[in-house]
Amino acid sequence: MAQIEIRDLGIDYRKPKSNEVFSAVDNVALSVEKGEFVTIVGSSGCGKSTLLMAVAGLVSLTRGSIQIDGKQISGPGPDRAVVFQEASLLPWRSVRGNVKFGLEMQRWNGGDLNERAMQMIRLVGLGRFSDYHPHQLSGGMRQRVNIARALAVDPQVLLMDEPFGALDAQTREIMGTELLRIWERDKKTALFVTHDIDEAIFLADKIVVMGRNPGHIKEVIKVDLPRPRNEAILDSEDFHELRKRLRAHLAEDMSSMQLVQEVA
Amino acid sequence: MRSAEMTAEPAEARQLSFSFLRPSRSAAIGTVAVIAFLVLWQIAPGMGWVNGRFTSRPTEVFLAAIDVFKNDNFLFHARISLTEFFAGFILAIVVSIPLGVLLGTSKIARYLIDPPLMALYIAPTLVLLPIMVIWLGIDMAPKIAVVFLGAVFPIVLNTMAGMSEADPRFLRMARSFGASKFDIFTRVLVPGSLPALLTGLRLAVGRAVLGVIVGELFVSQAGIGYQLNLYGSAMRIDRLLVYALIVSAFGYTLTVLVRSVENKVRDWRSK
Repeated sequence: MAQIEIRDLGIDYRKPKSNEVFSAVDNVALSVEKGEFVTIVGSSGCGKSTLLMAVAGLVSLTRGSIQIDGKQISGPGPDRAVVFQEASLLPWRSVRGNVKFGLEMQRWNGGDLNERAMQMIRLVGLGRFSDYHPHQLSGGMRQRVNIARALAVDPQVLLMDEPFGALDAQTREIMGTELLRIWERDKKTALFVTHDIDEAIFLADKIVVMGRNPGHIKEVIKVDLPRPRNEAILDSEDFHELRKRLRAHLAEDMSSMQLVQEVA
Repeated sequence: MRSAEMTAEPAEARQLSFSFLRPSRSAAIGTVAVIAFLVLWQIAPGMGWVNGRFTSRPTEVFLAAIDVFKNDNFLFHARISLTEFFAGFILAIVVSIPLGVLLGTSKIARYLIDPPLMALYIAPTLVLLPIMVIWLGIDMAPKIAVVFLGAVFPIVLNTMAGMSEADPRFLRMARSFGASKFDIFTRVLVPGSLPALLTGLRLAVGRAVLGVIVGELFVSQAGIGYQLNLYGSAMRIDRLLVYALIVSAFGYTLTVLVRSVENKVRDWRSK
């Protein structure tokens, strides 16, 4: 049995002003195996973040079901942890304080909180910065803290919502490699949302391509590039093939959007 | 003022401008200005520019200050004013923080109480002074009430704002780790709204000082405001100025103290 099993998922929102209902996500079905790294890619407004937040238990489902290890989810749980986009670190807490936050919330009883937090901080390469506050760190370092905080609670599933979206291209590439290095240790099941095609390919065992209106899955692409990976694969033949395929998908979405805008 | 302006500046600007020159230069100009003013004040009556009876002189004020501290029952009056100030202020804190928290966390409470609260905040609470005297007599009670009324609204409104304007991204992050409502309150809302609460306290200090002095000016038998009134009617400009300086020094010191705590807490917000 797959670790994450999403069936017939639909999520509707009510627009606050007009009370009009619109579907953010509809008819989504997806299985993720244990230890699989799945990236979800699509242009903005395709519901990829909504899908991830639904798996996190932070968004309620209108239709369908999400099961983790065969159990229907009904809200956030200690089996999942989320790495958010920027600005989710508490600015009044130090790096160590932030990494401890999840442990405190889950009443962690797997030993000393400080020791656990420090392990994770060292794992993401910030050992020297444990007493710094977020505003003293670069964007890349902040996202390392974000990752450490999620890993600290030892989740079964790691959910990442464009964690490198606000970083410059260079840092983003480094962070991708770093993330894979950390992930290779115990290969936790991972769902990673991005709008960056290269990032989606580089990280993934499986790429979920989403389209819009309403958000749906267009295609699921297997990625058979060998692991462990490094930047060298960015230039490989297979990588180019995948990039071409994803580009075509996203271009299709963009042109249909332009059409809508012209008509409107 | 200066420190608030400094923190409001974007980091880049602070690095590019020669800010290390500025404090010393502005301090020098400030000192020169003060000395020039004192000299002018000292010689003006002698030159016949102003009537010394109405303006006094720095030297006279200085001598009056020594006299006030030595022979004027200063500590007695100060104790009464300070008691009124702190009684009213502490009462205001005790009432306003829980109220601010309630209003900041409950939308219903906010819809219910926000409009009258705003109205009371904007209206000068000193207009209620005559009523307080009728209700509470002429002892300390009406002044405590006026201090309370002056201090309570800025603290309530700022606490409320700090609570209700918590970053939704922090709330979502906390929920993702399974935080309970109580956890979110103690670990996210309270630390997050601390700077706003301190801003409220700082604004309240000014209004509370005003409340004590005006209350005592209006009707009293003792206190700094009573002394001000006394020397005002006796045309003792020198002593009047001594008391006025004491009041402003007190308010200023307290404000600076709160602001320094505020800036420390707000440090992490500068980015």
